[in-house]
Amino acid sequence: MNRHTNQNWIALFLMALLFLASAAICRAEGFSFGGTEGKSGTCLSCHADPAAVGGKMLIDPARYTRTTHAKIGCPSCHDSMPATHPQGGVPARAECAECHSEIAQQYGSSIHAGKTRCAGCHNPHKVKSPEEISGQEINTMCSNCHDVFKMTATHGQWLPQADLHIRMLPCITCHTGAKSYYISMYIVKGQNGSRFGKQEMASYDELKGLAGGAEIVTLVDKNHDNYISIQELRNFNNDPAHKNLHLQGMMTPETVTHNFEILDNRRNCSFCHTSGSTVMQTSYLTFPGRDGTYQRVAVEKGAILDALYGTPDFYLMGSTKNQNLNRIGLAIICGGLIMPVGHGFLRFLTRKNRERKEHES
Amino acid sequence: MSDKTKIYLQPIPIRVWHWLNAFGIITLAVTGVQIRFPETLSFLGSYQTAIRVHNTAGLIVSFSFLIWFFYYATVKSNLDDIYIPNQEDIKHGIVRQLLYYCFWYFLGRPSPFHATPKVKFNPMQKAAYLVVMFMLEPFVIFSGLLLMNVTPLRVLVLMTGGIKFIVALHFLLACSLVAFLCTHVYLATLGATPLSYLKPMIFGWEEVEEHHEVAEEHQDAPRGYRPVRHYPECMQHIPDNQHS
Repeated sequence: MNRHTNQNWIALFLMALLFLASAAICRAEGFSFGGTEGKSGTCLSCHADPAAVGGKMLIDPARYTRTTHAKIGCPSCHDSMPATHPQGGVPARAECAECHSEIAQQYGSSIHAGKTRCAGCHNPHKVKSPEEISGQEINTMCSNCHDVFKMTATHGQWLPQADLHIRMLPCITCHTGAKSYYISMYIVKGQNGSRFGKQEMASYDELKGLAGGAEIVTLVDKNHDNYISIQELRNFNNDPAHKNLHLQGMMTPETVTHNFEILDNRRNCSFCHTSGSTVMQTSYLTFPGRDGTYQRVAVEKGAILDALYGTPDFYLMGSTKNQNLNRIGLAIICGGLIMPVGHGFLRFLTRKNRERKEHES
Repeated sequence: MSDKTKIYLQPIPIRVWHWLNAFGIITLAVTGVQIRFPETLSFLGSYQTAIRVHNTAGLIVSFSFLIWFFYYATVKSNLDDIYIPNQEDIKHGIVRQLLYYCFWYFLGRPSPFHATPKVKFNPMQKAAYLVVMFMLEPFVIFSGLLLMNVTPLRVLVLMTGGIKFIVALHFLLACSLVAFLCTHVYLATLGATPLSYLKPMIFGWEEVEEHHEVAEEHQDAPRGYRPVRHYPECMQHIPDNQHS
């Protein structure tokens, strides 16, 4: 009995020590995940100044401050600073895998492994969370190595409308093993103010001007409830003031992974085109932010399946069909069966009339 | 008294067009259903196969439509005569044909119309084919070509109301064509025998009874009935010993 009591006291003591130690670590400079204050100031005093440093060494403090990396500060990654810096000697390169070990492991077993390191795709001083990035930006990363024209030609060997797929889908939708998706809509505009010009993402400033200085979300979210209904989408699309703007959509993975691969189930098209209305229920409208990030606002379920006006420029064959149109189509075909069925039945009943006449003639 | 007469009703280009169109549209309908409802139907295996077959059949139907248009509009120059109902058709013909289909046929009375190379269609057919050949088919082909080439024809897609409108239009027009196809195939069996209207579309020639006692035959004809129009110049008598 006494022995058990002693063990309990020892355990309690160890837990108390652990609590105090973790509290001390959390307050330690550079390792807290709290604010960014004072963690990178010394470095940024030079690295944010174009007169002092240039090129890749220049860091945009506004963009950097928004990253998770700013919360741990420069020394956390660049931890072996030579005493001679900046006159001579540079700090060690960041080892991303120290923190992102799971992602590094995923990436290591992917077809990308050995082709490039993390920084080949991600700039750690500007990196954004998946919610803050548009599908087009994801493809911009890929196109740094993969030439769009070459990729279109390669995919075109088996993929119908390869150009459309490559333009309208983030590469990772097919080339990672994500299981669930949502539709990310964003606002595009015709180049040079033309409704039919080449489509490009509408910038924050352009949309801000269109919103008359108000938050650009209010261009669509008229009742300011941070939620976009199908009716609000229709109103946006039908508003003559927005005639140069279009809503485009991308089928984007819910969870972004780094296990880049070529998946056979994407090749038979049915993965996306038979995904059905379950996947197509979830969508977000993504607005550009002032600092180059994106803000996504939830859209009412079923907006993608709206017959005509919810998302007039987004359609995924086989998956985004509208049920009311299906019913109208069925009614039309049934109308065509009136003659064979109705007339045919009467024809059968009155067959003797015609046989008699034929016999008489 | 009557003789058998053969009429060369359907020349080769029209038969080629007709059957290309027929098999093309049936293929389009079958693959189209799979493309729209892939989660429940898979006639042709993979979705990709359905798309490729659908696109190919669509191009064949577009090509056959050009044959049809080129033949009637330029070679024969009688597109309007054949497909556009005249005043007589509108005033009496359509009603008369409707009465025939709805009542007289069941009573065993003869059709008020027999086809000839110059007047191939009865007034109801003219009205129906006018809608099918000048509205349904061109629009379904046009919308199909847009959907096949969304990126290259992006401007046209936007001008015509966006991809969703074009898909809706394509789907509803296709359903209308299928509805027409059901009626068309059924009406094709309403000849003297169930296959008598099919033969000219295969062999070109239609065998008709040439009645000499027209006036007598029409004595019990209903009010508004017009005798069948005959065009002796395009008929060919079959000697009695060749009657089948």
